Amino acid sequence: MFSKNKKIDKLLTLYVPLGMLLSFTLFPLYWTINTAFKPEGDIMNRPLEYAPLNPTVENFVMAWNNVGFATFMKNSLIVGVSTVIVVLICSTLSGYALARYQFKGKRAFMLMLLCTQFIPRSMMIIPLFIIFKNLGLISSPLALIITYTAIEIPFTTILMSGFIANVPKELEEAAMIDGCTKLQSIRHVVFPLLLPGIVATGVFTFIYTWNEFLIALMLTNRQDRFTLPVGLSTMMGEFNVNYGALAAGSVIALIPAVILFAYAQKHLVNGMGGAVKG
Amino acid sequence: MFKSKFRKSIAVSTIATALLLAACGDDESAGKKEVSAENGKPVKITFWDENAGPQRTPIWEELISQFEEENPMIDVEYVGLPKDSAKSKMDAAIAADDTPDLASVQTSWLPEFSIREALLPLDDYFADSELNGLINEGALNFNKDIVADKKLYGIPYTQNLDILWIRKDWFEEKGVKIPETWDEFYAAAEAMTDKANNRYGYTIRGGAGGSFQLQRMMYAYNGFEDYLTEDGKATINDQKNVEFIEKYLSLYEDYTPKSDITNGYKEMIAGFDTGVVAMVQHNIGSFGEHKEALEESQFQAIPLPKSENGNYVAEGGNTIGISIFKGTDNPDEAWKFAEFLNSAASQSFWNEQVGQIPTNSDVLKEDWIQNSPHIQTAFEVYDDPNTVLYKPPFYLPEYRSILDGTVDSGIQSVMSGKASAQEFLDEWAGAMEAAQAKYSEHFGK
Amino acid sequence: MSYSPEVNEPVLEKKKNEKVRKFNKAKLVPYLFITPAVLMVVSFLFYPIGMVFYYSFQNYDISAPYYNSFAGLDNFVNIFTSDKLFFPSLLNSLKWVVTEVGLQLVFGLILALLLNQTFKFRGMIRAVAFIPWAISGVLASVIWSLMYNEHMGVLNDILMRLGIVDSPQAFLASTSTAFGAVVIAELWRGIPFFAITLLAGLQSIPQELYEAARVDGASRWKSFLFVTLPQLKNTIILTTLLRVVWEFNNVDLIFNLTGGGPAHSTTTLTMYIAELAVHGSNFGYGSALTVISFGILLVFAALYLKLSRYEKE
Repeated sequence: MFSKNKKIDKLLTLYVPLGMLLSFTLFPLYWTINTAFKPEGDIMNRPLEYAPLNPTVENFVMAWNNVGFATFMKNSLIVGVSTVIVVLICSTLSGYALARYQFKGKRAFMLMLLCTQFIPRSMMIIPLFIIFKNLGLISSPLALIITYTAIEIPFTTILMSGFIANVPKELEEAAMIDGCTKLQSIRHVVFPLLLPGIVATGVFTFIYTWNEFLIALMLTNRQDRFTLPVGLSTMMGEFNVNYGALAAGSVIALIPAVILFAYAQKHLVNGMGGAVKG
Repeated sequence: MFKSKFRKSIAVSTIATALLLAACGDDESAGKKEVSAENGKPVKITFWDENAGPQRTPIWEELISQFEEENPMIDVEYVGLPKDSAKSKMDAAIAADDTPDLASVQTSWLPEFSIREALLPLDDYFADSELNGLINEGALNFNKDIVADKKLYGIPYTQNLDILWIRKDWFEEKGVKIPETWDEFYAAAEAMTDKANNRYGYTIRGGAGGSFQLQRMMYAYNGFEDYLTEDGKATINDQKNVEFIEKYLSLYEDYTPKSDITNGYKEMIAGFDTGVVAMVQHNIGSFGEHKEALEESQFQAIPLPKSENGNYVAEGGNTIGISIFKGTDNPDEAWKFAEFLNSAASQSFWNEQVGQIPTNSDVLKEDWIQNSPHIQTAFEVYDDPNTVLYKPPFYLPEYRSILDGTVDSGIQSVMSGKASAQEFLDEWAGAMEAAQAKYSEHFGK
Repeated sequence: MSYSPEVNEPVLEKKKNEKVRKFNKAKLVPYLFITPAVLMVVSFLFYPIGMVFYYSFQNYDISAPYYNSFAGLDNFVNIFTSDKLFFPSLLNSLKWVVTEVGLQLVFGLILALLLNQTFKFRGMIRAVAFIPWAISGVLASVIWSLMYNEHMGVLNDILMRLGIVDSPQAFLASTSTAFGAVVIAELWRGIPFFAITLLAGLQSIPQELYEAARVDGASRWKSFLFVTLPQLKNTIILTTLLRVVWEFNNVDLIFNLTGGGPAHSTTTLTMYIAELAVHGSNFGYGSALTVISFGILLVFAALYLKLSRYEKE
């Protein structure tokens, strides 16, 4: 489009803009990693070190040991995975209803979902605490799983309904004409095409629970049940901002997320090709 | 249809089962405070730390394991709260009636917690304890004085003091006298500023929390003992203070960095630790941070400049203590732990690592105290008989919110030239007076 | 159709019943499907949300319960008549949302289009491009505040080395740059949201449509306008709606980078509410502000759905 030469064309329309966006995205990340490997005293040094002059892993060790990282990570994983499963099930069902059916109260349902997103979490803490206290679930991962699910469902339902709507109804009908039951048509036709949407939704949900701080702090009274964000924020005492340990902790906390992304992006591939041929 | 119903029923039954399991499972409310020593099983008490971190948490955990060794029938569970949200969490716990056995509680929180009937009075326990007579009288009395019913709700285990950290190497280099009076302070700020070389004489905390520091500087200058007078008038907007604010905040940008206006604690200390600023006001607790970034020969702690009357001034109640919550099922065991934490050995261990001042007089004779210059500086102030200790109205529920809200943003307004010092101080004084009036009316004081 | 009643009635009855049953069953399906969601939301969120509305009519100070009393409409009246911060913060909220969502959408779409193409190491690059999303608000603000820092911030360092500025800038301290600085930090975090959802959306566009367009001689730009965008329409509408609500209520970065300052230049309505919740003592007043914020968002959402003709699609 810009030039007859295919190579230059690709350069201009792909590599250059991609490079620019990537630099923007990755620079703060590079700076975090840079900081994580510097000994605490060096972080404030001037001139600024763009690569650590005295690289060390002491920050990582400190973050892992002193704050009980392993436990926090385990807790976050339990809560995260469970929440994702429940959320995906509930929101796929509701999303399907929103996308495929016209029913009375549909608009009200959607607005109701949206309404739950209008209130900042900080205003809901104490009533939530009271609910879970009465259920005897304070400090239990279940309190977090339930709360996160309730909070995420409106968002994920709407998102899933969008993805489902993108799958043309005709495909289901075509499959049924070909002899599938509705059930089978959903399984063999809709589901594969929905995979990118499911993956995207699952990723969002997981990341939300992975990083959520306030509710995790308020609904947990046991040190060994704290999730990662709560653990990380203890690195920021008033008299004690440990930039190195914080950076190291952030890097460690990122690893599962990156693994998740690496796995998930494989599924963000065009799945339409095969289905339409039939 | 089947599959979705099937899926749905799986979901429903999963949730139901999980809920059932959780309700019967090992969660907090079920198993917390049941067993007593009679059954031969240890008593479990929970302790909340209001300022957890990679450096402090291990200190507590060490103390806990020592305690558990000496007291095999008591198990202490430590919960470390991040500093910025610790108070909110305790507030929520009190509101929902789900408090721990004991906690490290800042003195300024005592009036509020005690009037909400969340804390256990400790007078009797203390009177019978070996600690009686060892803990700093002034601090204990202060704690009793600020609460409505004058009882003892917190045993202070550490003290702090606002001081100035200075780059003594720069002062030596330039041959400038280390300031002892306010005039010398202003002169030093000017002399130390060298914008061409990116050096500033001073830095102001214009962002969150700046109000508390400003307050301490202001009272150090005016030497008033009363924050609110008998008839409910605030000494805040006294003419002396107007002069002070005008001069002090005008240091901004001339002799302090431009970013000061949004400086929180982190940024302010960074200015000092990166070698940009010659003097910074904070407390001796940040010793650890400076030690990491600078050589000990480069910096030192000096007291805030003396007031015009020649006295040192310090804010009373700059302590943290151990408090026991009323809802505890094991007050005796909780007291035992509280007592242990305040013993000479524990206080010495904790304070030496953190760099603050112990309140147990037995500790004061130890070597590390003698050899610690910044702690000696703090004693210089606290031990001086002429030192004035002023008492902020911690008992007013609006105290913190006035400082965090009105004053913090007022400081920024003055620094950016949007408001005058008089307007700012009038607003501050007015808010305090209104709060006081409301309080007196309600409690008929 | 005529029939003899005695013989065919039971058959007809059966058929009619079947039809009626099928009819009822079919109608029930969507309701069954949405039951889990409704159950979760109603059981766990209605009470907290209801309490916010309840408190908006009270003077409620969590740390001084002895002051609590019924306030009626006082809080609301005060908001509109004597609160100096209300309207400015509302304006800031508007500025914030429009800038953020607009920029995030544009850059997110560009990124999605780029990542949709094939090139070497695509998998790794995709994984890496989404990372800002994975960083929590607190950590993101620490990193950005470190980068913006006047004394040891890398941004100043680079700008000075490149000769663009000759003295360190206090990005977060100046009323003219603070807002922009926070916008950029949030932009960094928010782009992956649109990038991921739009990329997922791009996957379901049938290749045939592109082929058909090419056969018709459409240029790349034209096929983008007439194939890609219309297909993405629903996804864009929904994600934008969600993002607007989200950004309106988002305070993480603002709270930790500037605390709403300097001099309230970065205080949005939600930031104001957060300040009140954390520092203030009148929870009732904060609740009243929340109720107003709720109302604004509700009106917006309803209008948006109507205007975008979402359901007519």
